[in-house]
Amino acid sequence: MSDLLADDSEWADVVPIRQYENVNPVAPIFYTEEYKDATDYFRAVVKSGETSPRVLKLTEKIIRMNPAHYTAWQHRYKTLVALKSDLEEELRLMDDLAKQFMKTYQVWHHRRLLLTAINSVDAAVLELEFLRDVLDVDTKNYHTWSYRQWILAHFNNETRLWARERAYLEDLLEADVRNNSAWHHRFFVVYASGIRLGDEDREQVRRRELSFAKEKIALAPNNPSAWNYLRGVLEFTKTPFVELASFVEPYTAVQPPSASEEVVDLDNPLPTESAQLPCVAALEFMADAYEKQGGDATAKAVEIWKSLANERDVMRKKYWEYRIRDAL
Amino acid sequence: MVDLYSPTPTDGYGTPTSALQTATENLIASHILPAGTGLQPELQKRFHFEFLLRNLRQGFPERYVSQDASQPWLIYWTLHGFSIFGAGLDDLTKKRSIETLLALQHPEGGFSGGPGQAAHLLPTYAAVCAFAVVGRPGEGGGWESINRKKLYEFFMSLKQPDGSFLVSHHGEVDVRGVYCLLAVATLLNILTPELLSGVPGFLASCQTYEGGFGNASFPGWAFETGPSNTYDPSAPRPPLGEAHGGYTFCATASWVILRSFIDLYHAPASPPTSISLPPAPRINTGALLRWCAQMQGLPIELGGFKGRTNKLVDGCYSWWVGGCFVLVEALLGVGAHHESPIEETAGEEAGHKAWDDVDDSLFNRKALQEYILLPGQHPAGGLRDKPPKGADAYHTLYCAAGLSAAQHRVVPSEPRKNAIISAWDAEQARAKDDTGLRTTSDAERAQLDALRRETFAHALSWTEEEGTALYVGGAGNRVNATHPLFNLTVTHTELMMAYFYGQTLPPRAAPPHAKK
Repeated sequence: MSDLLADDSEWADVVPIRQYENVNPVAPIFYTEEYKDATDYFRAVVKSGETSPRVLKLTEKIIRMNPAHYTAWQHRYKTLVALKSDLEEELRLMDDLAKQFMKTYQVWHHRRLLLTAINSVDAAVLELEFLRDVLDVDTKNYHTWSYRQWILAHFNNETRLWARERAYLEDLLEADVRNNSAWHHRFFVVYASGIRLGDEDREQVRRRELSFAKEKIALAPNNPSAWNYLRGVLEFTKTPFVELASFVEPYTAVQPPSASEEVVDLDNPLPTESAQLPCVAALEFMADAYEKQGGDATAKAVEIWKSLANERDVMRKKYWEYRIRDAL
Repeated sequence: MVDLYSPTPTDGYGTPTSALQTATENLIASHILPAGTGLQPELQKRFHFEFLLRNLRQGFPERYVSQDASQPWLIYWTLHGFSIFGAGLDDLTKKRSIETLLALQHPEGGFSGGPGQAAHLLPTYAAVCAFAVVGRPGEGGGWESINRKKLYEFFMSLKQPDGSFLVSHHGEVDVRGVYCLLAVATLLNILTPELLSGVPGFLASCQTYEGGFGNASFPGWAFETGPSNTYDPSAPRPPLGEAHGGYTFCATASWVILRSFIDLYHAPASPPTSISLPPAPRINTGALLRWCAQMQGLPIELGGFKGRTNKLVDGCYSWWVGGCFVLVEALLGVGAHHESPIEETAGEEAGHKAWDDVDDSLFNRKALQEYILLPGQHPAGGLRDKPPKGADAYHTLYCAAGLSAAQHRVVPSEPRKNAIISAWDAEQARAKDDTGLRTTSDAERAQLDALRRETFAHALSWTEEEGTALYVGGAGNRVNATHPLFNLTVTHTELMMAYFYGQTLPPRAAPPHAKK
């Protein structure tokens, strides 16, 4: 049984269009018969502008063989609209495809077009649920996270959409405190996209976020995601770096404090016994804090940068030396 | 004392990220050359030629059907790959390439991923760059068949109120698209203020708290579209997607290309003008530099680059992040063209020391070369993400370009820029205008001329800095320099731009001090 449209009577009225006419293409791709056949018929359909149910079947066939075929996706969307198809049904049909081809732009953009057209918060709620399933498999999928952020912003519903994000992120960071996509998303939810319902007390939010970042740093200090988040919060809230010096300093020591040594300070969680110190990010932080203070403190920054350049973070020697030049 | 090849510390708190990182370090570290043997990494140019040649002559295997909507890319990666490795192309290959590329030009403007596919910004960049490698003016050269008027109309049809562009009709907004459009518009002389309006603001909105750039930003609160298009500068325009190497390169290169536009059309203007101008958008270049520096891996990862925080090193970021440094340095105003002579010394140790003293690069060039040469080369030809992955056309090009960026320092030269400006023929440039744009006053006309002149002169001022080349493993590993903005050779860039701007470039000055 042939899978080819050339052998399918349903397509007998269409003249397929070969890809290259009178051109001997350089660096050709070795297509399967099936792919060549499908795309030859697709080219004909694009030319004629046909938007019929058989076009839906054809575009689905093509995108299953090549999910990056953006023209097939575009034409599919145009066809769905022309046929006044049930777009929520289309979303469900595409769920498998999204899971299979989650690293492709087009599967996500298609869903975005559908969601925009459906235009309902209910659909957005379901979509966020679906994305959780996808992120379960690939916790850092770039397109999925970017799309999730778009959904939240576009539908902008505090109680039904935004409300559960922070808790979701806390679960993700519980599972992997080094998931930078999750950290980025937190910044998106809490700061970058405006003020959340319940977050109107900005000072309380600042304290909460700093506390969260510090707690995570204490768990595993050599985690650039947590430090970048901390720094991001400080910059965004215009908090001087030096305010966190007492928290950061223990992370610049050559070993963690022994259990009995320090009084427990909930505001400044200490490194655990298994922390590998000194932590490069902590050293960098102190140097930045000194540099921002200026005056006599600059010399202390330079000393730290020198130790980073020559001993602690030699890969970035050129960068640390630039920081020295720039500060002097 | 810290052990140079320490693994990434896990603080006794393992997570999936750290487990994957450790496993990867073990794979990559096995490629570290044992010390004291005198062994040097060797670039297997012949194998890579053969890899590229096979793709060109025999074609791509079936799994490349995933690139069926990226055919110009396959052509550009292969042809420019040849340029970087220093191979010329025969006339028949050039002819066939030109014919193939022309078959990808869309009747309504722009280029598409394949014949009969929709026009799209990314294949447009790839096709125009491929034309730069194989094409020329005159009959059969392909350049005169590029329909710039329709291309300009295609670009304008994709423009969004927030300064971004869709990558194709009904397509997504993406910083890569913006870069591709700007690179092409610069190469082909179709820059206009109406095309560029709002673009700097959009780019700036894509910078994240980490300092790098994400793939887009959310326009909906700041830009209300409807019966009255309103803009609220105080509304949030959050970036979508975390800081990422590919997008960061695209945003940074775009920003450098836009410098002339920003200076001419935003306050404070230079020269000063009575026209009311919008304030110049800004990016945080210090944070950008920091992020780029943070992306270089540890010695145990052989100094390859990652694309995101807490992700793995990958050969292609050798270009996207490694290649970004000179751009960031240019924005910071550091590392400009030296006029003083740089000694070449014989012994490797002494050579490195002397070179170290004058190398203004802000990343570890030596380590990046080692990553590309050691784990980056596939033993059967071609270059790759990391072992044990196979080679592919994309990684072959971007590893080669990254190697080039680590070997050669190509930076803007003020003297060269001034020489080009002095030789600028405004009438010729105007004669080559194909955008159909009408200016309504002499002042507007002058501003437009200045935009083109300044952009042209800046783009062609990028020059390899005398005496700063560094070849890990010796000069036998040398690859050609590539232009940091376009990823084409400087020669190809010059030829294309000189043609489309109607200019004759002044000869390059001889180096001020001869090499000893």
